[in-house]
Amino acid sequence: MDFDLEWTAEQRAFQAEVRAWLEQHVPEISDHADPADLTAEEYSHQRKLGRELGEKGWLYPAMPVEYGGGGLDLGMAMIIEEELDRYHLATPPYYDTGGRLGSASIMVWGTDEQKEFFLPKIFKGAVRTWQLLSEPESGSDLASVSTAAYRDGDEYVISGTKIFVGSNHGAEYSWMIVKTDPEGNRHENLSWFMVPMDSPGITVEPMDLLLVGGERGAASGVKNTVYFDSVRLPAFNLVGGENNGWQVASTHLEIEHGLLRSAVRSDEMLDLVLDYARETTRGGRPLTEDLDVQNALVEFYIQSQVTRLLHFRNFAYRAQGRQLTYEGPQAYLHQKRSALVKAKAVLEVMGPRALVSDPEWAVAGGHVEVHQRASIVEQHPGGTAEIQRVIIARRLAIGRDQREEPGQLPSTVQEGQ
Amino acid sequence: MYDLRERDFTKETLVAIDAGRESVAGRWPNLVSVGILGSLIPEEYGGAGGSLTDTAVIYEELGRGPVPGPHLSSGVLAALVLLEGGTSEQQRALLPEIASGERTFALAVTEEDYGWGPEFIRCPARVTGADFAVSGTKLYVHDATEATDLIVAARLENGSVGLLLVDVRTGGVAIRALPGFATSLCEVSLSGLRVPRSALVGGGAEDGWAVLERVLLKAQLVLSAYQVGGLSEVFDLSLAYSQTRRQFGQAIGRFQRVQDHVIDIVNHLDAARWTTYEALWKVDTGQQDAVAAMHTAAVVASEAYYYGCNSAHDVHAGLGIVREYGLTLHTKLSRTLYHYLGSPRYHRKQLAQALGL
Repeated sequence: MDFDLEWTAEQRAFQAEVRAWLEQHVPEISDHADPADLTAEEYSHQRKLGRELGEKGWLYPAMPVEYGGGGLDLGMAMIIEEELDRYHLATPPYYDTGGRLGSASIMVWGTDEQKEFFLPKIFKGAVRTWQLLSEPESGSDLASVSTAAYRDGDEYVISGTKIFVGSNHGAEYSWMIVKTDPEGNRHENLSWFMVPMDSPGITVEPMDLLLVGGERGAASGVKNTVYFDSVRLPAFNLVGGENNGWQVASTHLEIEHGLLRSAVRSDEMLDLVLDYARETTRGGRPLTEDLDVQNALVEFYIQSQVTRLLHFRNFAYRAQGRQLTYEGPQAYLHQKRSALVKAKAVLEVMGPRALVSDPEWAVAGGHVEVHQRASIVEQHPGGTAEIQRVIIARRLAIGRDQREEPGQLPSTVQEGQ
Repeated sequence: MYDLRERDFTKETLVAIDAGRESVAGRWPNLVSVGILGSLIPEEYGGAGGSLTDTAVIYEELGRGPVPGPHLSSGVLAALVLLEGGTSEQQRALLPEIASGERTFALAVTEEDYGWGPEFIRCPARVTGADFAVSGTKLYVHDATEATDLIVAARLENGSVGLLLVDVRTGGVAIRALPGFATSLCEVSLSGLRVPRSALVGGGAEDGWAVLERVLLKAQLVLSAYQVGGLSEVFDLSLAYSQTRRQFGQAIGRFQRVQDHVIDIVNHLDAARWTTYEALWKVDTGQQDAVAAMHTAAVVASEAYYYGCNSAHDVHAGLGIVREYGLTLHTKLSRTLYHYLGSPRYHRKQLAQALGL
C-alpha cells in the first residue's frame, strides 16, 4: 500500500492554482487559542472567503456541480484541503457542521426539489447551518428526543429545547431531529427539518462551558441552548419523510462517527511539545535528559501516529471505494482516548505552565492551556467513547450472527468529503 | 497454491509441536520448498529478491498459525546479516544455501546479563593463530536447536563486536532448548570453540553492531508483521467465540464487558497493522523518517500482541488455557517475542533518540 500522496502533473498544476488563489483571497484571521475569541469581523471574513470558495466550487469540492459543489475527484478535493490547512483552515473555513451533515442527508434522502432548494445555498456558502441533536434529557440516547413537531396545514409547528448547539455568530439554518409522532414506536416517530433560524419563536442562549473547540478554522467557539416556542415552518422543510427520521439519522451519524476528520490534518501540538522539550532546561539540565520526559514524549508521538494512521486508512479505503464498517468509530475512539494520554504527556513535560493562559507565562500564546481543556471536552461530542464502542461491537458482530450495516452515504461522501 | 495452514501446519499439528509430540523439523522441508527462506535474498543468490513488504506479507500469514521454526532466524536475520555486512565471498557461499534451506542459521546475540545493545555482548573471541578462540554462553537464542549454523556476536580483542559464522558441528558448541513459557528459546554454550578468521562476517571491516542495526531496521518489521498475523488470528478466535459461546441464555458477546475485550483486541491489532505497514513502506522507499517509524511499529506491535492475548484470555476464560484450543500458542509467542530484537522499552529509547530528544 502506498502511503505517499504523489500528485500527477495535472494535480500539481491544480495545487499551484489553488495556492496562488488562496494567497490572494485568505483574509487575516488571528490564530486564537480559544475559538470563542473569534470576532464578528473575522467571522464575516471567513464567510466571505467561504462564498468566494463556493463560487469556484471549492467550498464543497467533492459535491455535484449541478447542486453547486465542485464535482472534483478525491485528489483535487484533498489538494484544496491541504492548501487550506496551511492557513489553519478547512472546508468550509468556518463551523458548518449542519451543512456538512445535513447536505449529505439531503443528498441521500431529500426530494429533487429539496436538493435544488437547499444544496446550492450550502455548497455556495450562502448559508451556514448548525446541527441540533442533543436535548437536556437526550444525549447518547438520541432516539428519545422530546422536542416535538405537529403538522398544521402546510406547516409544522415545533416546540422544545436543544442543547450543545452551533457556534458563535449565529447561523441561517439549523438541521434538526424532532419527534413527529408522540404515540409512535421508538425509531418510527422522528423526522428531520431544515429550520430557518430567523423564524419567530426561536431563542438562542450561549452555554457556559469548559471549552468549545473543534476542527481548526472550523471550531464552533460557543455552544448554545436553543429554545423553540411554537416555531412555524413550511412542510417542505421536512427531509426524508415524516417519521422516517431514524433512517435519515443513520446517514448523518455514519459521517459524524469518525468520518468528519480531514485526512491531512497534522498534529501541531506534537511539534510544539517536542520543540519545547528540546529548548527548555530544568534544574540547569536539558529537559530531554529526563527519562520521564522522554517517555512522555515518545508516548505522545506513538499515540499521534496511530490516530493519524487510522484516519489515513479510512480515507484510503474510501478512496478505493471500500465500504467502512467499524473503522470510523474506531479511529474516532482512538482520537478521543489518545487526546487524554497526550494531554497528560504535555502536563508532565511542561508542568503547571501547561495550565495557565496568563499572557506572561502561557506557552504558545495559550494554545497549550486550551489543549489541556480540549482533551476533556473532545471526549463526548459526536457520541461518547462508550457509544463508539457500541457501534464497533455491532459492526464487527461481536456476540451477533450478523454485522450491522453502516448508514447509507451519498457517493460523493463515500469517495471524498 | 500451497496453503501451509491447511496442509502442514493445521492447528492440530501446531498444538502437537507445542506439546513436543511432533517436531518442526518434520514439516520443515515443505515450508522450505515454497521458497519463503529466499524472499529477501536477491535472485543472483538463488532468492526471490522480494521487497521488505513482500516478505512481511508472508510473515503475516506465518504469524496466523503461528508457524514456528527458524524461518525468521535464517531467512530474514541471517540473510540480512550477510547482505548488510558479509563479504562477497560469504554472500556467494552462504546466501544460496540459506535460500535453499541447505543451511539454517540462528543468531546468537544475547547473554546472561540480558539486554539488546552492544554493551551486553561480552562473550570473548581471541585471535589464536589462524583462528578465533571463543568461550562463553549465549542465552535466549531463538531456534538454535533447529540450526545447522550460528551467527555468534562476540567481543573482539580490539573492543568491537564481531559476528562469527559457526557450524554447530564444530567441537565446543553445545545447544539445548530452554523449557518453560517460551517458544524456541535456547542456551548456546561455547567452550574451547575454534573458528577460522575467515568466519568473521565482513572480515571485521566494520563493527558487528553497526551491521545488526541495519539488519534490525528491516528484520524488526518482518517480526512486527509476524506479530500482526498472530494477533489477527487471536482476534478472529475471540470474535467467533463471542458469537458462539452462550452463558446466561445468550451469546457472551452480547455483554458489553465482553465486547470491550474484543474491541480492545481489534484496536491493538489495527494500531499494530498500520504502524507496521507504513514503516515497511518507509523502509522500502527509503523515507527519511523510516527509523522512527520502525521503532514505533516495534513498540506498538509487541505491546499489541502481548495485551491482545491478555484480552483474548478474558474473552475465553477457561477454554483459553486449554492447550488443544490453540490460544496459548499465541500467548506464549507474544511473551517470547516481547524482548526479541529489543523490547518495547528499548525501542522507546531508540525512538526518543530518533526524535532528537
